Amino acid sequence: MTTETQEAIALPFHPELKVRVEDFLAYEAELLDERQFDRWLDLLDDDIHYWMPLVRNFEFNRPQDEYSRAHLDAAWFDEGKQTLLQRIRQIQGGDHWAEEPLSRSTHMTTNIRVAAVTETQITVKCRFLLYVNRREEEVRLFVGKRTDILRPVGDGFRILKRSIFLDQSKMLFKNLTTFF
Amino acid sequence: MNHDTLGSGLVDTRAGLVDRAIFSDQQIYEKEMETVFRKSWLFVGHESQIPNNGDYFLSQAGREPVVVTRDQSGEVNVLLNLCTHRGMPVCRYDKGNAKRFTCPYHGWTFSNNGELSGVPLNTEGYGGKLERSRWGLIRARVARYYGSIWATFDEAAPSFEAFLGDMGWWLREFMMGPDGEDDGLEVIDGILKCEIPSNWKFGAENAAGDLYHDVSHKSVQRVGLALTGLRGRHTWDADKNKFRMLNITFPAGGHAVRGNLYEHAMREYFSQWGANPEVDEYFRDAHYARQKRVGERERLLNRGGVVFPNFVYNAANRTSVTTWIPRAPGRTEVWKWVFVPKNAPQVVKDVMRNYLLRYTGPAGMVEQDDFENWGSAQVGAESVLARRLPMNYQLRLGGEAKWAWPEPWIGAGALVDEGVSEHAQRIFYDRWSEMMTGQPRPFRREAAAE
Ligand code: FES
Ligand SMILES: [Fe+2]
Repeated sequence: MTTETQEAIALPFHPELKVRVEDFLAYEAELLDERQFDRWLDLLDDDIHYWMPLVRNFEFNRPQDEYSRAHLDAAWFDEGKQTLLQRIRQIQGGDHWAEEPLSRSTHMTTNIRVAAVTETQITVKCRFLLYVNRREEEVRLFVGKRTDILRPVGDGFRILKRSIFLDQSKMLFKNLTTFF
Repeated sequence: MNHDTLGSGLVDTRAGLVDRAIFSDQQIYEKEMETVFRKSWLFVGHESQIPNNGDYFLSQAGREPVVVTRDQSGEVNVLLNLCTHRGMPVCRYDKGNAKRFTCPYHGWTFSNNGELSGVPLNTEGYGGKLERSRWGLIRARVARYYGSIWATFDEAAPSFEAFLGDMGWWLREFMMGPDGEDDGLEVIDGILKCEIPSNWKFGAENAAGDLYHDVSHKSVQRVGLALTGLRGRHTWDADKNKFRMLNITFPAGGHAVRGNLYEHAMREYFSQWGANPEVDEYFRDAHYARQKRVGERERLLNRGGVVFPNFVYNAANRTSVTTWIPRAPGRTEVWKWVFVPKNAPQVVKDVMRNYLLRYTGPAGMVEQDDFENWGSAQVGAESVLARRLPMNYQLRLGGEAKWAWPEPWIGAGALVDEGVSEHAQRIFYDRWSEMMTGQPRPFRREAAAE
């Protein structure tokens, strides 16, 4: 995340692409908040890597150690489409007590920026705010940063990689039953 | 409530009744900190987290913050991470390598074995008379057990081995690789930490032996999680050998294990990782290697358990440790260590890591439902009206449990019940009650009479 400024200088601005990406992310958030999980799943590439590392507290000169490593260390999420499908099927059965009755969620994405573009991949960075309300009183507020790699498909996109950097080292809530 | 008698009359394990106040009362909670937690050995971590001299990591001994270090002579230290001058945590990085810790407030410096090695204005301010040997970081007694690291701040506590009693074999077995190699595990880097809105004992009693709560995990059973290629969440579901399901408890210490005792010795291996043949091959070989190594006890499958009070583990390919850190009567911090066999090929480590991260913790498809349910149980622990009735622990009540059974080598200190039973929870609260009140308990007397 330290190279952000350099990238911003080096990259051309893609106003039209940016509008399409913003629209895509808003649509995706809508699907999740409306619990249209199967349609959300359709937006994920078959090879998606969905990753939310752990966050640790380190000296100022060890920024590379702040997040646990993908495919190697512990993580909140480090998985592919098959597992995401299983999580959705778990929620859809009416017997997954952590999400039964279903929680309410509102996904917000902001500071959306197209950070890199190649023929096959678009790297998008954003900040997210995810509000979850469960049963009567339970509130979970997740704020953080996200880096998505999108694959252009026809007029739209598929999500090839999602890296979620949550601004919490100890998870302040009891469960992570929502998608980011 | 009188503080001295606090805790008595709340637990009646002969009748299977536990007062709801023990999950919600602030005074009882404070007394637990002074008795149950102050006087027990507590798990703080694993040696694979500090392979080199100077390595350290932050942990918790119950509610107390500690730093676990490997000092310059290779010894493992567990130090209260609180400055002896004004009390602030001296180390504030989750892990690293350091010869000394300098307190950010006034600069007292402690070496990684806890000694006070530097004091600003030592000559001008203290006339060189500050007794450094007295003002080092407070040190715990440390026990190293097949890779696991334990600590107590109680000088009067028995040795760690005495504290474990016959539970020792199970803890040792848990720390083995699947092939029966002692100290065969390593931690996957990163401790999962989260917070649940429930009393710490709900998680502990559940691990002691709640074989009754299948309904909790209905959804994950339906979807399937284990890599057997079958539905379900346990790899042993694929093992078609006949077994007895046992609740093995060790009343003297309050520890308990959930175990399968297979009918026949040297049972054959059934494929348990069918989704990945290379991994299955590793576990097949490990299965037979273990049979040769562990002797007659190879008939046992260690599924998991509790070392009283707050260390729980899941075994049988779900190698993880959880500690319940009590923050308030209705608030518990959950710490999770995830292990893989250290000498396994990388592909085995990868597959197990993947399985475990989907199983355990707040993102785990199994434990999410536990956390939800314990949070809800807390509502009933705090309700004034619900407290008219105690919590019910009467499942298979009635003296069916037997000592050193079904095989004598299970241990003279083991009191065992079979099947779906709340026996292990009764033993857990029996021990809790003894520590809280100082009164000997029925099961303990029985043990002495044997
Ligand atoms: S509080 Fe640590 S030096 Fe004063
Ligand atoms: Fe459970």
